[in-house]
Amino acid sequence: MAAYLVRRLLQMIPLVFGISVIVFLVLVMAPGDPVDLLLAGNPKVRAEDIQALRKIYGLDDPLHVRYVKWLWNALQGDFGYSRTYKVPVLELVWDRVANSMWLTLPSFLLALAVAIPVGVTSALRQYSALDYAATFFTFFGVSIPAFWFGIMMIYLFAVVLRVLPPGGFATPGVPPGWPALMDRLRYVILPVVVLALLQMAALTRYTRSSMLEVIRQDYVRTARAKGLPEGVVIGKHALRNALIPIVTILALGIPSLFAGAPLTETVFAWPGIGRLIVESVGGGDYATAQVALLFLAVLVLVFNLLADLAYALLDPRIRYD
Amino acid sequence: MAGRLSTETNAAAAQAAAGPARTWATGQSYWQLAWRRLRRHRLAMAGGGVVLVLMVASALSPWIAPYPPTHIDLANRMSPPSGRHPLGTDELGHDVLTRLLYAGRVSLTVGFSAALASALLGTVVGLVSGFYGGWLDNVLMRFVDIMLSIPDLPILIILARYFGGSLLGIVLVITVFGWMGTARLVRGEVLQLKNTDFVEAARALGASPGRIMFRHLIPNALAPVIVAATLAVGSAILTEAALSYLGFGIQPPTPSWGNMLQNAQDFIWRTPLLAFWPGLMIFLTVLAFNFFGDGLRDALDPRLRTG
Repeated sequence: MAAYLVRRLLQMIPLVFGISVIVFLVLVMAPGDPVDLLLAGNPKVRAEDIQALRKIYGLDDPLHVRYVKWLWNALQGDFGYSRTYKVPVLELVWDRVANSMWLTLPSFLLALAVAIPVGVTSALRQYSALDYAATFFTFFGVSIPAFWFGIMMIYLFAVVLRVLPPGGFATPGVPPGWPALMDRLRYVILPVVVLALLQMAALTRYTRSSMLEVIRQDYVRTARAKGLPEGVVIGKHALRNALIPIVTILALGIPSLFAGAPLTETVFAWPGIGRLIVESVGGGDYATAQVALLFLAVLVLVFNLLADLAYALLDPRIRYD
Repeated sequence: MAGRLSTETNAAAAQAAAGPARTWATGQSYWQLAWRRLRRHRLAMAGGGVVLVLMVASALSPWIAPYPPTHIDLANRMSPPSGRHPLGTDELGHDVLTRLLYAGRVSLTVGFSAALASALLGTVVGLVSGFYGGWLDNVLMRFVDIMLSIPDLPILIILARYFGGSLLGIVLVITVFGWMGTARLVRGEVLQLKNTDFVEAARALGASPGRIMFRHLIPNALAPVIVAATLAVGSAILTEAALSYLGFGIQPPTPSWGNMLQNAQDFIWRTPLLAFWPGLMIFLTVLAFNFFGDGLRDALDPRLRTG
């Protein structure tokens, strides 16, 4: 197991390197380099100034030189400055990731808390009214546009009922500490519910089909046959086995939680990593986009590994050597 | 589609092709039976009906829309529903009903084209991967794994920023992340079919790889591809709407349901209905495709019925 872990971690290094090359090339090939964007609409700029600026930014160097420069600086912890925010990119990205956590973590837990019991019950009472209702609900969940659902929630709770803020991050002027936390919670509720609903739909479906498969297994029948109470059969024999594939799906889903957040974060004007990607790509802030995307890529790799490890830990039939 | 069995030279070999052969006795083809099963599926028929209405309405929009798509009624901006504007007007004075109809054309075109392109690309990759196997299969399937594990939205945003302005561009961008499911599906089918007796028989008779692929493998792997493509229309429409909402997709003045929502949120205090209609259209359309696709899955492959 340890050897496997080390090997997987070592394999990650060339992967991260490869991804950084791809992200770099994609962003470099974008129409309009930083200097164009910097000077756009400024009539006083002369051609010589543009040349000078391009030289300062190193935009005249060949691609591989530019990449090696970026990599060299990155390896020393210098990921450059954000053109839009005028702060070091790394600081900015960490800041935004922390903000995103406010949404991703609670929504993830909320989705779990609803989807697993609903999925299990749905499977245990297949073709019951509850099962049909749950199936219907999952259809709604996968068909509804997240951003529209968000806008409708804003309309209901902020415009009509006036109980929650229509978006944003914090009310200005609230003293730090306990009041600030309570204030933050009010902003968190709507986006968390929207994000959770989207995950819930797919998760309920997975739980249901995984459970359906397991309760038909011989070992579940054996457990029943030897007279175990139904609660033990379901909770101990069936559910624990049904959850194995779900853990994998969850681990693989966490990166997309961050990546799928651009829509929800845009609707609710939440300054998270998803919103940062939209802004930096849209505004030509490539140094930021590069690091934000690289962060997501690393997240994917790490959680892929965690999914594999969790699988081996939970299912003794699976071994890595 | 008809005669997919009549070309078979070997009757015994035809029997091996599970589903279709058994229907021979009743004189009904596989597709007729599938249609009968589909007709009994109420949600699927409702979904199909909604899709049909949307397609007709979009196709006829130049004739049934009250105004031309870029017509601006400056005197009546952000007006509530009225006789002149059944669903009101937006902040520029566009008639909302007109914009919804024309946007439907864009969304359906993008949805169908992207689904079709994804199905084609996925079928080719899956076919090659399953048929030739070996290192090629390995390389292609690892690539599929990688593509599936990439969180697609950020990459789509970047791609859409470069290529997304046009209809063709957005279709291509959505296709980039749309083909992997079909590829896996087709590969799986091909791996199973490759070793059936009728394919063996065809090979023994000296059929070329091309003939085996087009005559025997593709027709028999078609049903799941059709189901996947139907469901893909819905998700392509959602993706287009999301990109357009973020400002990277279809650009105004061309209306799309996504870009109609882009500004609507700013006016939610004054004219909330402006944000309601386009989203409702997206929701209904995607839901309809999902219901239809789900029913289609049950109808085309009763063995797969998951309940």
